Amino acid sequence: MSKASYLKRYWQLYALLSLPLIYFFVFRYGPMYGVQIAFKDFNLFQGIAGSEWIGFDAFREVFNMREFYTALRNTFMLNFLDLLVSFPAPIILAIMLYEIKGAWFKKISQTILYIPHFISWVIIGGIVYQLFGNQSGMINGVLEGLGLSPIPFLTEKGPWLVTYLFTGVWQSAGWGTILYLAALTGVNRELFEAAEVDGATRMKKIWYITLPSIKPTIVTLLILNLGKMVSIGFDRPYIIGNTAVREYSDVLSTFVYRIGLESGQYTLATVVGLFQAVVGLVFILGSNYISKKMTGDGII
Amino acid sequence: MTVNANQKVLKKVLGIGLSAVMGMSLLAGCSSNGNADTASNGGTATNGGSKERVTLKVEIFDRGNSPAPYTITNNYLSNMIQERFGDPNNIDVQFVPVQRSEEVTKLNVLMASNTDVPDIVFTYDSSVFYRYAQQGGLTDVGALIDEYGPTLKTFLGEDTLAFGQLEGQQMAIPGKRAITGRYSSYIRQDWLDKLGLPVPTTTDELYTTLKAFKEKDPGGNGGKNIPMGMALAPAQFETLIYSFIKPIKGDLTYGQRYELPLHDGFKDAMQFLNKLYNEGLISKDFSLDEDKTQLAKDVQNGNIGYWSEDVDNIFYADGTLDNLYKNVEGSKLTAVDVLTNANEGNKHIKSRYASNGMYIMIPKSSKRAVEAIKYLDWMASDNNLIDIYSGVEGENYDLVDGIPVVKAEVSKEFADRLFNAGDTAIISNGKNIGDQATNEKAWISGFPERNQEMLKQSIDIANTDTVGPIVFGKPIEAESKYGTTLNDKLAVIIVKTAMAKPEQFDAVYEQEIKDFMSLGGTQLKEELEAALKDL
Amino acid sequence: MSERISNRIFDIVIVTCVALFVLFCLAPFLHVIAVSLSSNRAITSGEVTIFPIELNWNAYIQVFSNNAMIRSLGYTVMLTAATTGLCMLFTIAAAYPLTKGYLKGRKTFMVIIIITMFFSGGIIPEYLLMRDLRLLDSTWALILPGLVSPFNLIILISFFNNIPQSLEESAEIDGSSFLRTLMSIVLPLSMPVLATLALFYAVGRWNGFQDALMYINSPELYPLQLKLFQMVQNNMVSELTQMEGANRTALTPESLKAATVIFATVPILLVYPWLQKYFVSGVMLGAVKG
Repeated sequence: MSKASYLKRYWQLYALLSLPLIYFFVFRYGPMYGVQIAFKDFNLFQGIAGSEWIGFDAFREVFNMREFYTALRNTFMLNFLDLLVSFPAPIILAIMLYEIKGAWFKKISQTILYIPHFISWVIIGGIVYQLFGNQSGMINGVLEGLGLSPIPFLTEKGPWLVTYLFTGVWQSAGWGTILYLAALTGVNRELFEAAEVDGATRMKKIWYITLPSIKPTIVTLLILNLGKMVSIGFDRPYIIGNTAVREYSDVLSTFVYRIGLESGQYTLATVVGLFQAVVGLVFILGSNYISKKMTGDGII
Repeated sequence: MTVNANQKVLKKVLGIGLSAVMGMSLLAGCSSNGNADTASNGGTATNGGSKERVTLKVEIFDRGNSPAPYTITNNYLSNMIQERFGDPNNIDVQFVPVQRSEEVTKLNVLMASNTDVPDIVFTYDSSVFYRYAQQGGLTDVGALIDEYGPTLKTFLGEDTLAFGQLEGQQMAIPGKRAITGRYSSYIRQDWLDKLGLPVPTTTDELYTTLKAFKEKDPGGNGGKNIPMGMALAPAQFETLIYSFIKPIKGDLTYGQRYELPLHDGFKDAMQFLNKLYNEGLISKDFSLDEDKTQLAKDVQNGNIGYWSEDVDNIFYADGTLDNLYKNVEGSKLTAVDVLTNANEGNKHIKSRYASNGMYIMIPKSSKRAVEAIKYLDWMASDNNLIDIYSGVEGENYDLVDGIPVVKAEVSKEFADRLFNAGDTAIISNGKNIGDQATNEKAWISGFPERNQEMLKQSIDIANTDTVGPIVFGKPIEAESKYGTTLNDKLAVIIVKTAMAKPEQFDAVYEQEIKDFMSLGGTQLKEELEAALKDL
Repeated sequence: MSERISNRIFDIVIVTCVALFVLFCLAPFLHVIAVSLSSNRAITSGEVTIFPIELNWNAYIQVFSNNAMIRSLGYTVMLTAATTGLCMLFTIAAAYPLTKGYLKGRKTFMVIIIITMFFSGGIIPEYLLMRDLRLLDSTWALILPGLVSPFNLIILISFFNNIPQSLEESAEIDGSSFLRTLMSIVLPLSMPVLATLALFYAVGRWNGFQDALMYINSPELYPLQLKLFQMVQNNMVSELTQMEGANRTALTPESLKAATVIFATVPILLVYPWLQKYFVSGVMLGAVKG
């Protein structure tokens, strides 16, 4: 096809795409020159252009900080555990909701399940302490009443990790179901009827009909999640974390907050950001490649 | 079929979206008009000056507590300032709100923009001030104060001004602090009476008393009994630590909290805390209680026998003290000064504030430095500070012996005038009226009458044997570089060493201190010691 | 027979699991409601769990009598509607062409977009951009920077890709233009995911306030969540608020905070039940049959 006729045929697609692309270039790539800060001794008042180049000095500094590695290790650990626990939770919950027959119960529960997503972490933090505290926590109060010894939910590594994961599931599982429920609307109900005739059990139907129909969504979200393995939200580790478990709850975002925002060392903060970006990009492209090879589904 | 139905829905949705967008542009138009209105508001008043009218932009903390109909940029005080200072000087005073909790982030961005930064900015954080000064972003105001700020200079005095001097240049104007006492301690008198015990007067006696509280449970609290209230907050652990450390230089010592581990006696403090924790004498969950919520709860429910607090903390209307008396019948509190420092002649060593408040700065890019100084000078002149702090005589306060005493019953309308008084009167932290005693009197008058007597005792305690920060006159670079990291580390040291098994205390302590030193503590120590020699 | 019983057991197990989780999710919300209706004495003494103690409506009276609060609610609703509309428009415009495998440059565009998920210029260059575009202190500053979320875009592309190609191809053979195919086939078949993404954008905008912290100076343009944030943060005792000494401001009562949380949360909670009607099963099926 010649260039002219190609354009003549597809100009509408390019026209459609042009608006969002302009957006990406102006608002996303426009400020991108800021990544230079990682290679400069950034002075607020001289600006990015006026600050002196320092090459990779700041990278060397960051990669020599022990805290950086602790934060990196914790970020990986918490993200990996989340991938094991918090990632499947909404899938399971969505399938359960899909299996529920009572329309009334289904609707109400869906609406309630996503409420935690709207409660800010500051408030969740307060509630978590009330529930899980050693002396004042309600759960330990009950345990004590039963003559059992209290569990240090918040101050020891193992129990703290469980608490961290639990609050994550609690906060995001209901919200996460929404997308899967949207995907489940595409399931062909006739397949179930056919399976019924063949005498398939409920579990079999879920396994062979329901799950495959949301597979593309699962794969897409999994790839996106893998891209975020080295980035982590600030609020949850910061608020659920506390001084007693600082060695496990200090993650890259809290680390950057400390050195970047509180100490004003923009250069170091940018270096960490750049590191996270490069690793994230490699992860997402890599997992996309593998997924394409293995399942045929991918994001590009 | 379905397709058709959904198409309709889709059109509807798109329609709603579009009309919303159009509505929005209208709205945006409105709001920008609104802004122009507020900006030109002050301009309507005419005055004779031939000079061109200029705009002075002043930062203001926004805490989201503006009572209707006021906003943070348009309220009783902003109007008063425009009227009394702006109009006569042909200046539009424009307030630029900065969210209190995000002040440094926002200030950095404003500073980097050069164009949008207010002519007067401020922060309580000395390291932010040092950073700006070091990067060459601030105006040296020394000469300007001499020329345009004589009243301001007298008001602040040399001692306070010294906090803003770096390498001999006046890079910031420090606000003046009216009250430097910080912490007091309290004990349940009714518990003591019940056990027939005297008020403890030394650390050792306190320990015995706490033991008795633990064993005899005079409050009848069972498992909730907490002889000594503790939280991971300065008011609790700093009082304890200060009662063990040897100050560096007379009644002065290193000013930053994370510099406490560099003092002799710090280990003793941790050892004592470890003992208290392991014997079950302090709050078990103190490591989780960084904002003192749990502590306040336990106090109000009558579970706590002894604790330390910020001097004013418990005395507010419907506050901790009021609630304790309401919740626990027969409860009685006494303000006490117990902890004695064996390393410093058994004095009741405790921390006090430096005599400065916030650091007020004029960015180098500002073209209104002269007007800015004039504004601060105006604030220090005549009755202006009292008017900002205390409102209108007869409506907000009565003058008793020259001290503005807050009226007991003030209507909401009048009280609302002053919602941002403390943040507006930037040159003064607290009510600076005269000497410390006068300032305290004025401050106490703002509290419920029933609590004033004990507050006075608390303040007296807070002022006893205090130790203040050394002023080096130059930035300590390790402070700005490692400060936040070490501050976090300090909390970890306290928690880990307190919660260690007694036999493991030494090992844990050594390990944590080693960590502290490797995270920047070593550099900090060397720099501080060098700076001390230069003094 | 046994199959019916096992089916029954299966149902009971599922309903019980979901019901339990629902209770978990509801309890903290009930706690916040209880706090908003209790006396401050009861709250600070830690007596309130999920039932109000010393019940009173003062906090709500205070919230609803605050004109600035009500106005902010109206503004936030408008802002959220406008943002959602524009975001959907831009996201759809980007997603549809990118589903066409034959489109030249498609992979490049995808990479360009994915890069922005990870790299950003940082807060200072972003602020300077907004200044240079003269968007500071305007509603647009809260809308334009977030027009397309790459995350949502990729999800939309993945859903578009699941529409049977045969449907679109038949339309294209009919001589239908791409725009018409998009409007008459692709979008109507994608209502569930469109509703979902609209919800994501709406909730994102509703809950967001960080941009307003940076870009907005006029109190009239504060979104509701910013006001809420101020109120919550106002109670935080940090290192620096310590230094405020005698200038410390009175704390916001917990009940008022909780009432504001409810006031700022309930409107957006109502969006989902309303959107649920687009989650109809078998949309695709009907189309294929029709």
